[in-house]
Amino acid sequence: MPSSNSPNRIPGGHPDLALAEQCRKNEPGAFEELYRRHSSRLFGLSCRLVGRTEAEDLLQEIFLAAHRKMGLYKGESSLGTWLFRLATNQCLDYLRSKRARLAMLTDSIDQESRTAGVGAGAILGVVDRMDLERALQLLPPGCRAVFVLHDVEGCEHREVAELLGVSDGTSKSQLHKARVRLRALLSGSPPQGQQR
Amino acid sequence: MMTCEETRLRISPLIDGELSGPDAAAVLAHLAGCDACSWFRQDLDRVRRAAASLGPISPPDHVWLHVAGQTRMEYPDALKPRRPAAHRGAIAQWLGIAAALVVVTIGAYVVGSTTSSAPQSSNPASSASVETVAEELNLAMQHYERAITELETLAQSGSSALDPAMAKILNQNIKTINAAISESRTALVQNPGNGPARDSLFEALRRKVVVLQATVNLMNEMRKGNQVGAIEAAAAFGKKS
Repeated sequence: MPSSNSPNRIPGGHPDLALAEQCRKNEPGAFEELYRRHSSRLFGLSCRLVGRTEAEDLLQEIFLAAHRKMGLYKGESSLGTWLFRLATNQCLDYLRSKRARLAMLTDSIDQESRTAGVGAGAILGVVDRMDLERALQLLPPGCRAVFVLHDVEGCEHREVAELLGVSDGTSKSQLHKARVRLRALLSGSPPQGQQR
Repeated sequence: MMTCEETRLRISPLIDGELSGPDAAAVLAHLAGCDACSWFRQDLDRVRRAAASLGPISPPDHVWLHVAGQTRMEYPDALKPRRPAAHRGAIAQWLGIAAALVVVTIGAYVVGSTTSSAPQSSNPASSASVETVAEELNLAMQHYERAITELETLAQSGSSALDPAMAKILNQNIKTINAAISESRTALVQNPGNGPARDSLFEALRRKVVVLQATVNLMNEMRKGNQVGAIEAAAAFGKKS
């Protein structure tokens, strides 16, 4: 932690402004400090949104973009929040560029909501984290993004909706869809309503 | 009375605490009498809780090397070392690690021993007698390069023993590391006093030694027909690199 990172250094601003200022001025070690503090969370986010292979390249792009845009950080939120938004947008741009369009947010939700029936496919016991990570990668990008942002990262539906450019209602329905799909994947059976 | 379909559509809002009033009461009433929907609710809640427990993931070291390298190219004055004095200790440490890796790897290599001989390993303590940082750097660099040359020779001489898929992974790692080494060297040529570039170079060299060492260990186990040993060596490779 930089010793000069005094919360009172810039009156009225977020404590992170000091580090941001150091990064802007290219002060020794400041940007590395920023990377050390935030890279693990952002790498986790990237891995889950776009997959491990692409996540390494994306993490580089995220931090390079952060370095270039540091002047835009005004201290209205923490640097972590600012970087999180930047990272999410980079990941979503990547997904869009791969034609995994966010239009998929609205795909086949009606089908998958038809879940009435027996309890076949119930998950037995505690969900293994590795199994969940693998199952996540099998979700369509749209509902995966909602699930990761809401259930993994703890964003509110309002924030998810804003980040993804969808309505709150879409965020809620996609979250439900993602959970139902994951339940099916983790229990080894297809979701009700997907069976043909 | 709600149907199962209607109930299940409201399970996510229920477990997220977003359902209240008559809606919540109707869902709870249904759940009280329907085992299938109760299990469904339990499952979605398990998925939700498991997701909340997923933590950060540490990125591989080379990502920072690339970020630092790119930033250096875009902003040549950026990323200067925070504490230049700390390099002396770090250099001595690199020197010791490099020497130890060479000795351990060569010693453990049972095949092709006639073509390889243990290089002179420097006592890390002797680095204390090196007067200038530049001399320490050169010495450390020489050790790494010697270690890498020896290990590359060993790896090439027995590369046929490796599973092609594993060989591909190892080669990809070496290629990435070589790129990092090349980039750091270029940065150092442009600015010999660039501390982060020097650190990046030593880190990349250290990684290369580790990967080559793991390669040799893996070949060793494959040649001996020791599947368990090979698996362990491969697993160790994953941890080290």
